[in-house]
Amino acid sequence: MKMPVPAAPEIKIGAAQRQRCYPAKEKDMVKIDLPPSPLPNWKEAMLQKMAEVLDKYRSVRLFLDICVKCGACADKCQFFLGTADPKNMPVARADLLRKVYKRYFTVGGKVWGRANEAEELTPDVVQEWYTYFYQCSECRRCAVYCPYGIDTAEITMAAREIMAAAGLATKYVTEVVAKVYDAGNNLGIWPAAWKDNCAFLEEDLKDTEGLDIKFPVDAVGAEVLLLPPSADNFVNTDTMIGYAKMFHAAGISWTTSTYCNEGGNFGLFLNYANLKKVNNRILEAARQLRVKKIYWGE
Amino acid sequence: MGTKLLFVILPYSSVAIFVLGVVYRFWRWAKSPVPMRIVATPAPQTRRGVAWRMIGDVLWFPSLFKADKFLWAGTFSFHLLLWLVILRHLRFFLYPVPGWVQEIQTLGLYAGYLIPVPLALLLARRLVIDRVLYISILGDYLALIMLLALTVSGVLLQVFFRTYLVDVKAFFLSLVHFQPLVPDFPWLFTLHFLLVMALLIYFPWSKLMHSGGLFLSPTRNQRANFAQRFVNPWDFPVAYNSQNLFPPEKYAAAIFGSREGEKE
Repeated sequence: MKMPVPAAPEIKIGAAQRQRCYPAKEKDMVKIDLPPSPLPNWKEAMLQKMAEVLDKYRSVRLFLDICVKCGACADKCQFFLGTADPKNMPVARADLLRKVYKRYFTVGGKVWGRANEAEELTPDVVQEWYTYFYQCSECRRCAVYCPYGIDTAEITMAAREIMAAAGLATKYVTEVVAKVYDAGNNLGIWPAAWKDNCAFLEEDLKDTEGLDIKFPVDAVGAEVLLLPPSADNFVNTDTMIGYAKMFHAAGISWTTSTYCNEGGNFGLFLNYANLKKVNNRILEAARQLRVKKIYWGE
Repeated sequence: MGTKLLFVILPYSSVAIFVLGVVYRFWRWAKSPVPMRIVATPAPQTRRGVAWRMIGDVLWFPSLFKADKFLWAGTFSFHLLLWLVILRHLRFFLYPVPGWVQEIQTLGLYAGYLIPVPLALLLARRLVIDRVLYISILGDYLALIMLLALTVSGVLLQVFFRTYLVDVKAFFLSLVHFQPLVPDFPWLFTLHFLLVMALLIYFPWSKLMHSGGLFLSPTRNQRANFAQRFVNPWDFPVAYNSQNLFPPEKYAAAIFGSREGEKE
């Protein structure tokens, strides 16, 4: 069956401007090496980070430069289709960053100013960034339709990296990343609880189906390290039981790790350093457990 | 003196600005590294595949075709007609005129008559569709209006205000051979000529650089060779701070009951 394509809505200016994420909490920000609260010299910090990002990512500089504003991406973003807010069109979302880029990093923007869409980095602009760059799920659908492959996820990631450097981030994302460094997964299931849940599932399987199947945890020397979504150990337990049955039937020795029992990486929604730090937990767990393969459950 | 400025100094300097500007833009983009593999899938796995994909992107804009049929029709016909018109103009710069340039003269002529049509449609689209109107800025209109003026003046030169082409050819050949003549052209030809020079000067600093940028776009020019390691040139080590309750050392201690796991 072919799904009907939703028609582009008529634009409603400002329709989603009040849909903002809760700001990050100090206790989480210190755990993820970010300023605990927005910096007093936020403007310098953001512009400095922006210069760094432009020099580190060809994608960001190129995508800001070559967009022709054809509007092919406009009606492809689910956030625009859902809210009808024009700033949720990928091209307009990138414009939020582009206008500041033009003002501080291009000759045309410095000379022609507002006529060339260049704009100062003011508190209002930062507020817009915080609102609309957190209304992008980095799904990259726009990149598929753009004739030059302009990937708004790269722009969104750059803007979030710049905001994070000045101490601006959302509660949801920072909380989850901080939990990974404390408990090993996004939900904050502590190692003892993880082991207990696995033991419970073993018992449960024995009682209900009479099957004697193990749920190994931290088994050094197993062949496979399984990375389930941590919710599989907690709410979607049928999936967890499914993994165990599958490994049992295939005769593969496997294990989960209390150090890293999550495949999802919320660092992607924050900045490069945390993206890497969360990902490194997978490698570290695999190294310490001396497994041969890593299976992604999610 | 004014004519010399217009027909000798201006063309040489605009071509120089165009070439140096384009080189500068490429250099600036190439200077920033590509830290990650961000290819837009489904993507080819080999370099040859990437080359074919890129040729496809340049020739018929498949992504745009998926996105918006009307926009695709407008831009595709505009770019195709533009190429034909540019190739037709080669007869002014080459002596003797190669056979294939002679072959496409008629095709190029009709392309020239038609080219204002897609440009007008693209301009109308900017004004009519609310979301496209919202994102359009001065530069978008400027590029379209310059091209419209350029092409309309070209059509008028062909149909109503015909210029003596032998003079035109002698003038361009003199420029090509660096022995510039200072001619005396009618006003419409001068306008047509000035618009081309303006476009050459404007090109490297504007969105018109999309034509070159495409080749460096990481989502289009990378391979989907996910099995090979991709090294980030500016990668840096990450460390755990004292606030993190579960650093790697603690895991080693937990599974080995001692700190021996760390040594490996």
